[in-house]
Amino acid sequence: MAVPGAVVPMRIEVLHLYRTLLRVGRQFSDYNIGEYSKRRTMDAFRDNKNLTDTRLLSAAFSDGKAQLEVAKKQAIVYSLYAPKVKSILDF
Amino acid sequence: MASSTGLSLKFSPLSTSFKQNKVLLRGICNVNSVSLPSRGMRLGSLRLRVSCAAKPETVDKVCSIVRKQLALPKDSPVTGESKFSALGADSLDTVEIVMGLEEEFGISVEEESAQHILTVQDAADLIEKLVEQKSA
Repeated sequence: MAVPGAVVPMRIEVLHLYRTLLRVGRQFSDYNIGEYSKRRTMDAFRDNKNLTDTRLLSAAFSDGKAQLEVAKKQAIVYSLYAPKVKSILDF
Repeated sequence: MASSTGLSLKFSPLSTSFKQNKVLLRGICNVNSVSLPSRGMRLGSLRLRVSCAAKPETVDKVCSIVRKQLALPKDSPVTGESKFSALGADSLDTVEIVMGLEEEFGISVEEESAQHILTVQDAADLIEKLVEQKSA
């Protein structure tokens, strides 16, 4: 599965991915899944903050991009079945 | 002469704090040095100076959000001139701070502008500009 010479993301691209993931997390109509998305991206990016190996870097970046696609689709699906009343935790 | 008095008239209602006055004085000094070459240019730089100053309330709100995000103690020095990196924020923290500011002020910061935010003052100025654009 490993692509030889996989592209190492630049700092700006990584920060753009981070911002986009957080924005998608904010879009979720369901408070719980939205908070989970934001928490998970923050944890994942902080865990991988100090990576230097190019293969691990590009693997983590493509993983992040794949998760972004999943999150975008799920945001739409969740909004179709959103509850009428906001969660008590949502303030 | 007329232009500099015009400047001071415009500025005095905006702020009362000493720190803000320091920034304004700097602004006035810059304008004076530029005013010599041509009259047309002076007016342009005057306008730039006015739009640069953000309201103290905005700066205070930004400071409190930064404090909360970076978990700084209440009495730690956070001012308009504070750089995020100097306060112990890495680039991920800066992204989170900008997101928090977007939510607080109901604005949307583009990627381009967000990359240039390095100090509390930068953030406050950008917020003011976007809020103004939104209400316009």
